[in-house]
Order: sequence, then C-alpha cells, then structure tokens
Amino acid sequence: MEELPSITTTVKPRRLLRRYVFSTDHKVVGLQYFFLSLAAALTGTLLSLLMRIHLIWPNLALPFFGTIKPENYLAYLTMHGTLMVFFVLSLVPQSGFGNYFLPLQLGVSEMSFPKLNAAGFWISLLSFLVLLAAFFVPGGAPGAGWTQYPPLSALAASGPGQALGTDLWLVSIGLFCLAAVTGSINFITTTLKLRAPGMSLMRMPLTCWTWFVTAILSLLAFSVLAAAVLLLLLDRNAGTDFFVPAGLIVSGAAVHHAGGSPLLWQHLFWFFGHPEVYIAILPGMGMTSHLLSVFARKPVFGYRAMVGSVVAIGFLGFLVWGHHMFVSGMNPYAAFAFSTLTTAIAVPSAIKTFNWMATLYGGRIRFTTPLLFSVGFVSLFITGGLTGPLLAQPALDVYLHDTYFVVAHFHLIMAMAGLFAVFAATHFWFPKIFGRMMNERLGILHFWITFVGAYAIFVPMHLLGMAGHPRRYSELTGVQYVAAMAPLQKWITIAAVVTIAGQIIFLVNFFWSMFKGAAAPSNPWECSTLEWTLPSPTPHAGFAGRLPVVNHGPYEYGVTGREADYLMQDAEA
Amino acid sequence: MPTISSPPKERTPGLGGGGPGKIPSRRGYGGGDDGDRRRPEKFLSYQSRLRRYRIGVALFSVCVSMLFLGIASVYVARQRIPYYDQNTQAFMSTWKAIHLPYIQLWLNSLLIVAGSITLELARRGQIKKAEFASMGILPPSLEREVPWLSITLLLGAGFLAGQLLVWNNLRHQGVYLRANASGAFFYTLTGLHAIHLVGGMAVLVYALLGSWLRRRFESQQIAVDATGWYWHFMGFLWFCIFGLLHFSRA
Repeated sequence: MEELPSITTTVKPRRLLRRYVFSTDHKVVGLQYFFLSLAAALTGTLLSLLMRIHLIWPNLALPFFGTIKPENYLAYLTMHGTLMVFFVLSLVPQSGFGNYFLPLQLGVSEMSFPKLNAAGFWISLLSFLVLLAAFFVPGGAPGAGWTQYPPLSALAASGPGQALGTDLWLVSIGLFCLAAVTGSINFITTTLKLRAPGMSLMRMPLTCWTWFVTAILSLLAFSVLAAAVLLLLLDRNAGTDFFVPAGLIVSGAAVHHAGGSPLLWQHLFWFFGHPEVYIAILPGMGMTSHLLSVFARKPVFGYRAMVGSVVAIGFLGFLVWGHHMFVSGMNPYAAFAFSTLTTAIAVPSAIKTFNWMATLYGGRIRFTTPLLFSVGFVSLFITGGLTGPLLAQPALDVYLHDTYFVVAHFHLIMAMAGLFAVFAATHFWFPKIFGRMMNERLGILHFWITFVGAYAIFVPMHLLGMAGHPRRYSELTGVQYVAAMAPLQKWITIAAVVTIAGQIIFLVNFFWSMFKGAAAPSNPWECSTLEWTLPSPTPHAGFAGRLPVVNHGPYEYGVTGREADYLMQDAEA
Repeated sequence: MPTISSPPKERTPGLGGGGPGKIPSRRGYGGGDDGDRRRPEKFLSYQSRLRRYRIGVALFSVCVSMLFLGIASVYVARQRIPYYDQNTQAFMSTWKAIHLPYIQLWLNSLLIVAGSITLELARRGQIKKAEFASMGILPPSLEREVPWLSITLLLGAGFLAGQLLVWNNLRHQGVYLRANASGAFFYTLTGLHAIHLVGGMAVLVYALLGSWLRRRFESQQIAVDATGWYWHFMGFLWFCIFGLLHFSRA
C-alpha cells in the first residue's frame, strides 16, 4: 500500500482557532455548514410558526413580535422561503454531509481545494448574517417572496421592506452564489480526480454520485442566479431598466424607469430555480438509496439505472423552468413543450422510486431510525411527487398557480422529503462524526411525530388549494370564500405546532447524544463503504498515509459463505 | 514504490454494483494515474495538483460562461420588448442604438490577444524549465518567466485602460447606465468582463510575488498555468461579447 503523506491533514493543528474555526479540514467545514444550516432552520421554523399562528389569530399580539401586520407577514414568508431553500436545503445535504463524507467515501484524505472549501463556508456565513441583518434595518425584511419578482422587488418605494431590506437580500444571495460555486468546483474536481485506487466511478456509493451531479447543477444554476441578482441590483441602484416596465406609478409618483420586462427576471430566476429544487433533493435521494441498501442488507436494485436516472434528472431539470411561468402569458406551444418535458422528469424519478422499493423487497430489514426516515423519504417523495405532473399541466396550473396546492406540493416533496433525508443521514452518520450513537427510542418517537405531522399539515393543504385559497395572503377574513376555509387552516396550524414541538425531541437527542450517547464502534451499522473503515469519531488525519485500495462495489450485502453478511469495499479481492 | 503481491485475479463482478467487465488491478481507476497503471501519480505530486487546478479553472470558466450567457440572453430578449406609449397609441421600442468605437475596441482586442500570447509563452517556458529544475540543472524559480509575466500584466492593464477609454467615448455620446438599455448592457457586460480579468491579473501578481511571499515554487507554477488557460478563456469571452454587441446593436 502506498504511503502518501498529506501535507494538510496529517498533523492536527494545535491552536484552537485553526483547529475548530478557520480549519481547512473538510470534516470541520462540513460540520460548520451543518450548524449554520441548523441555525437557519431554527430561524425559518420560527418564522413559519409565526405565520401559521397569525393566519388563524390575526389580531393576537405575540410577545416580542407584537401584532403581525401584513407587511410583516410578507416579510416572514419571504425570509422563511429564503432561509429554508438556500441555507437549509442547499447546504445541509450537499455542503454539510457532502463535505464531510465525500472524501471519506472516496477513500482520500482531503478535498481538492481545502482552502477554497473553507472560504466557501465563511462566505456562506457572511451571506447568512447579511440576510439576517435585513430584519433589523429600517423598513425591515423584504416582502416580495423568495422569488423577488420585479417590479415589486426593483422599486424601493413599493413597500416597507423593499428598500434596504431587499438590497441586503440581494447582496446576501449574491454572496451565497459565490460560495455555492466554490463548493461545486471543489466537489467536481474531487470526484473526478481524487479517488482511492480501485474506486472507479461505477464503484462510488450513490451518495457520491448525487453529490457530483448536484455540484454540476449548482455550478450552472447559481451562476445564472448571480446574473439575475446583479441585474436587479443595477436596476435598483444604478437606474437601469432591465426588469422595470415603463409607465408605472407607485404611491402616486411616476417611476422613471422605462422599457424593461419583469418576465426577464422570471426566466433567469426560474432557470436557476428549477435546478435549485433538484439541488435540494438529489443528495437526499442518494442518501436514501444508500441507507435503504444498508438496512435491507441488499444491494441497491439497479445501480446503473440509479446512476442514469440521477444524471437524467439533473439534465432534464434544466429544460423545464417554464412550468413556473404558465400564467405569465407565454405562448401555449411553449407551455406545451415545458409541460411535456416536466412530465418526462417523472420517468427517471419513477425509476428511482421503484428501485428503492425493489431494494427493500425481500431484504432482511433492520428497523432502525435511519431506515424509518429513509422509508419516510420515499413515502413523502411519492406523495409530493404525484402532484407534480398535475401542476405540470398548463390547463390545471392556470387554476392552481399561486394557491396552497403549490405550497403543499413543494413542501411535501422538497421540504419534508429533504428534511427526512437529512434526519436519516444525521442518525446514520452521527456515530462516525461524534463517536457516539443517537438514542434509538427518541429517534423512533421523533420519526413518528414528524411523519404523521408532515402528512397532517400538508395533505389538507391540497384541499385548500383546490378550493382556490390563494397563497401569500396575510388576512383570511376579508374574502368570504377564503374565510370559510378557516377551520382547515386551524387544523393545519395545530398540526404544525405539534410537529414543530416534536422537533425538540430531535434537538434534545442530538445534543444530548453528542456528550452522553453510547460509545460507537467503528462500524455500528455494518455498512460496506469506506468511511466505516475509520475509527469513530473520524480521526483528524482521515485516510492520510494509509490510502485504502478498493476491490469491491459499494453495496455488497447479503454475501454468503462468510461470517459477516457484507463485504467492505476495501476487503481483499 | 508499492508492489503487487500477486497478479490480479479475474473474477465475476460482485452483487453490489461496480459495473460489469474486468475488475481493475490494485492501481485501479480513480484519479491520478492517467490510465498508466505502471506509473501511478502520487496525489500530492505537482502533476496531480496541476491537473486538479486546471479542472478547477475549467469549471470556473463554465460558471463565468453561464453568468455571461444569462446576461446575454436578457440582452437579446430585452431588445424586442415593445412599450405601449399612451400618447401615440402605438407600440414603440425604447431601444436606443449606440455607436461603438470600433477602433478602440479592436485595439483592446489586440491587447488581450497579445496578453494571451505572452502568457502562453511564459506558461510553456516554465514547463520546460520545471523539468530542468526537477533534474537539478536549474534552481526552482520563476525568475526566468518574470519578463513575460510582467509584459502580460502590462498588456492586461492596457486592455483595462482601453476599456476605460471606450467607456469615456460612450459617455461623450451621452450614453450612461441610466435611461439607455443598450448602454446599460454594454457597461454591464464589459464591466463584468473587466472585473474577471482583474481577478486573473491578481493571480498573476501572486505568481510574480510568490518567491517574495515564500510560496512554494510549484504553487507559483500552477498559478501561471491555470491563469494561462483562464486568460485564453477571457480573450475568447471578450470576442463573444464584442460580437454580441456588434451584431445585436440595432
């Protein structure tokens, strides 16, 4: 075996700042992303709680927040969306777990560009702080939704949060784009060029495949978002007219911009926005494939089909952005094209879903928390995914656009499924990261509350949407048919409160187990991939100096004729 | 040097994926050996690092391309947006064509291409000399390429100065960011290009000052190599922008 000294990782830095704060160790960077996302998730959840409570008790004066005025409600929903989509779903699955485990699963000791990696995290953190600052400036946070359509987002006079708040939002997202791009460059280069001997691309665990394809999507999509953000900043601050049409009158004063079109923003934004949702969900799919295989003690059914569908989903994801714009007055033939392509994405997604089920079928299933969350992912993916082709029909979308039907759809398939994948991965990899096991009982309890809660919140929401209840409405009492749906809103709020309360179990489990959990062996789940050949918790040096040689595929389970029912990837050929 | 204890055995692929066909030898696939199984690259070798940085620059170039493609697509679409004027009750275009100062623009193009040439000379020169350095004939130092690198930096600065002159020309025509969509795109596209070029020049300065900053010689070499490719890409991008501005100006 080759002795490959690694300059950056063999010697653990001694000073505290260099070891835990400004570290270039991919494991530390991964954990930093994870905790940043946790902070963003808690903030986003708080905002969603405020929104839900306001919807059913509009005049309630909350402690510290006071009565929530409509502009506050819009600000909360904008920031909730921004925090959750960008800082939670685009960070944890990809930059959090990916940074920690991609090099380990590939059998190498570091990422390609460790310093760039660390820089990416610090830019993300700066981006987060700039975003939060929007709450505290005069006018408050922007209220144009996470999609920030102009002219509302382009004119500072158009609302309270549309002045400095929106500028801060734009700067924050611009920084986030930069961080995302640096992260992607790292992931792609590492996957292509830094793999242990014997680790061919078709021997990589599916998690590595999804991190790879997601990184390609990030690279391409976030650059376009950066273009959109730049142009909007110019529109706001330099008097250009990219997105602002002529003839607008805001608060009685004529606006002097002329000739732009809000559609241009929509195209640019959604060209980013659709790949973004695949960035959010693909790593979760990889983790689910991985975990279902481990806990069913069976190889992934159709490994090559899984790889092919991940690539197909990534590719097709760039061709369907128009389905977010069916009501924008687009040419019906263009709408037909986007609709057909969107329905086509259902094919690789269905391949993956059937393969997950086939992986479980006939397996010797071990009912652990990670397995439950993975099965929950599949369930929520199916439920949320089935309403996708529905919304992809322009005729239906004209009615359902901007109703709660859409909200229910994306929360189920992106937020809940993505979240379940994160929970599964957390429980699964916790022993490797912290050297301790999470509490299984608390985990199972948390799973059931969250699973039932997710369905209780979002399935009724479809009914709201079908009845025509618009989204982003702060007051439900003004319009009669909307006010009539208040009892269902009440139910959703109650379910949300209970589910959010149930997340406390997870937080308690997580932080308590970090210090007091049962000590974990190096391979508690009997998983065959390379990170489990290292001691738990992973030592700083990782694989430095003792690179494994890979002789087997990643999912050799159910092996007979041996003491164990699995083969580690670096076992003898 | 690692040795193989026994020749690799043919065996049928395992259940857990990994594709059909031959099982590779110990050296395997996985980056770093160029497919040449007898001479695997060490992961921290200069060659391996260089390859990774080249890929990194290529990926960053893809990112920058997407950025400019996004703006270019808005440019093309924006030209065709009509504005319904209440007074004349007709659709009008608010697109005011600008007159591009072609002489200055072609001069700038010449400067950036010349920069590409000199940087390529520096890049190839230092590859050759690196071989001599590794054999111990020459000391590892970037000194011999300093003239070419400095000339490149000067040419880049010349390009940027030329762009400022172009901007000045437009200002004299009365074309600003405000109130003129065509102008807005011109400034945005050329300005972004210039900013990215400055980034490339900053890396060249790092390479030049590298010895003084006590950076590893290899890192300086990699900086020159990667910037070389980046500069060529910037030149190509410049011609794309120039072409777009010319062919879509009306």
